[in-house]
Amino acid sequence: MRHLLVTHADDPIGRRIVKQLYHDERIENLLAVGQGPAPRAFDSFLAEAPARFSYARADLAKHRPVSDLFHSTRFRDADIDTVIHVPKHGAPEHEPMPLVAGVPARTSEARLILQHSLEAKSVQNLIAVGSAFVYRLLPGNSNRLIENSELNLDPEADPELRSWVDCDMIFHAEVHGERLRTVLLRVPTVVAPGGYVYLNPILSGAAGPRLRPLVFDPMCAVISDKDVAKAVQAAVHADRSGVYNVAGCETLPLSILARWTQRPSIPIPTTVLRTLAAGASFLRAHHLRPVLAGPHLRYGFTLDTELAARDLGFRPSYRIGLARDGDGRARLEAYPA
Amino acid sequence: MSEAKPPLFLDGVLKDAIRNLPGTTSLLSRDPFAEVAVPDPFHERLEALLPPVARLRSSVAVRTSLEASGPLRAGNTALPRTKRPSPQRRRGVAVPRLSELEHAPPEELSDRLLGEAERRRITALTHLLEGGSPYDRYGFSPSVIRRIMPLFLALYRSYFRVRSSGHAHLPAEGPAILVANHGGLLPFDAAMTAVDVLLHTDPPRLLRCVVDRWAGALPWINILFARLGQVVGTRENFNDLLADEQIVMVFPEGIDGIRKPITQRYRLQSFRTGFIELALRQRAPIVPVAILGSDDQSPILFDLKSLARRLKLPTLPITPTFPLLGPLGLLPYPVRYRILYGEPLPFHERFGPEGAEDPRLVRTLANQVRRIVQGMLDRR
Repeated sequence: MRHLLVTHADDPIGRRIVKQLYHDERIENLLAVGQGPAPRAFDSFLAEAPARFSYARADLAKHRPVSDLFHSTRFRDADIDTVIHVPKHGAPEHEPMPLVAGVPARTSEARLILQHSLEAKSVQNLIAVGSAFVYRLLPGNSNRLIENSELNLDPEADPELRSWVDCDMIFHAEVHGERLRTVLLRVPTVVAPGGYVYLNPILSGAAGPRLRPLVFDPMCAVISDKDVAKAVQAAVHADRSGVYNVAGCETLPLSILARWTQRPSIPIPTTVLRTLAAGASFLRAHHLRPVLAGPHLRYGFTLDTELAARDLGFRPSYRIGLARDGDGRARLEAYPA
Repeated sequence: MSEAKPPLFLDGVLKDAIRNLPGTTSLLSRDPFAEVAVPDPFHERLEALLPPVARLRSSVAVRTSLEASGPLRAGNTALPRTKRPSPQRRRGVAVPRLSELEHAPPEELSDRLLGEAERRRITALTHLLEGGSPYDRYGFSPSVIRRIMPLFLALYRSYFRVRSSGHAHLPAEGPAILVANHGGLLPFDAAMTAVDVLLHTDPPRLLRCVVDRWAGALPWINILFARLGQVVGTRENFNDLLADEQIVMVFPEGIDGIRKPITQRYRLQSFRTGFIELALRQRAPIVPVAILGSDDQSPILFDLKSLARRLKLPTLPITPTFPLLGPLGLLPYPVRYRILYGEPLPFHERFGPEGAEDPRLVRTLANQVRRIVQGMLDRR
């Protein structure tokens, strides 16, 4: 039986993971932490007696709240043996990444969660969700990436992407350690029913038009949020450490994915986009750089998921397509195979 | 005198001891779970007031509407829900034979320009897609092939008047690597071979040509190549296509093949060896292919290599028409194409996957393939 702690459970992917794991009979205790109040979806879990689910609010980017969390009575009583770290991803569109002691909040969270997981005696496993956009993209449409493909260590990369790379390297460094079984899952663009998009530098955030280069239409690997939860569940019960690519069945051009998620893409000549990106940099609007410049706007990628299938036993079980709702509007839907 | 301060480590020990006392967490820290999260009472009351039908989630309503309306179309793309999705990597895609396919009625203008046989062949390619998805993972789209095929057929039949032989050597199933000579400034040799393979295989096979990396950065061209099923030649891409049991075409001469001057036409340049390694590892036979006509379509008089290097171009040729006629000068002359398929070379049966670890063997096999293709060209 496993005893789990899930971070950022109030964000969409964390919420989905909690829902998936709550119904897993092999999990005895489930603690969830988030920055906001408990999502309404957890009401039935919280109301159940005897309680096997708890929710608490904590700012994971700061040392004191994380220390309090890992030294709390509830954490000790639950005898937590597995920490599932879901990086923050539900921030409003174009919100600049807050800095904590000079580093992005996401990086600070990753450091603190790893440090406290190593220090807490009961914790034996650490599962972290990362982004597949950390890979270096070379000219081509599209690149097939394996876990050993080169990471994007370009110093000119935008801060958002760099924080993902930093988090990736923080957890990757611990994969071969003996103290913790560490699993890092690299997921591509995550889509959810209703047209929600997460972890995509261009499409994440509120619905609305986006700019894309006129002469490029990169292929985007996508995965349903339900499949991400299933992958995390598989990683919890596996006995392997490692870095794994996790992706769904579909790969779509950026223009089609944007249209399916109510974010129509406006093709713009590359020179105009470059000028806009330079203007954004001049005005210190660095948070606009990912949507105006970067290799992911030109070159696509797909992920080789053979390793995850072999070691974790994960295979995508949801397809992604368009459906029409009651008003006749087309919207993205994930449906079981 | 003031008392001596306790050692710092005692401070830490004391803190831990106090923390570990049951029920004492408020002195030095705040227990995040002390503030108990409870269900929203208003929400519970609302749930109780609502009739059962209204509690159905919107996704259920969507699902019902989806089932009622049958397979829906998104951007002219049908998404049937009955097909079982295959995993991210498939092994051996089952493309039906032509006799198993139903009649394909013309739907668009481009369909009317195609014959019944061609329409059926293109329809068969849709089985390469996973679970009815509109694109494969490299961006291949049968609907784009359907629209562009009339143009390619006109080039194949009327402009280049392609003749081909040795189709029996093309494997009907399983992975294979077609190794050919490269020529001409624009890759019509690859396009004509792809059309030829599509028209002369049953079940129809899509030829996946491996293109140079710089082609993936060309505006528009990168999209067109991807939609037509061409793939940038990285080791991972190549490996993945063979693992999918697809038929892949390579030009081991690379860029040297297309920029050789007219004095060296049909003289093969040195071969790269990566295709041999992958053929051995993936147990794929190698089919040598000789393409006659490609070196005559745009005869190069000079290649301004140093200027091309400064302009970051792969080649800057001088031909009888380029740059005299501007970009139009790059268009090929209406030469006759001949495509010859040689007997498959099953190196993997003799040397096995471990042969890929021996660089001398790999180089020797690459040279052997080169000699065979050169022999086929010389016998023209």
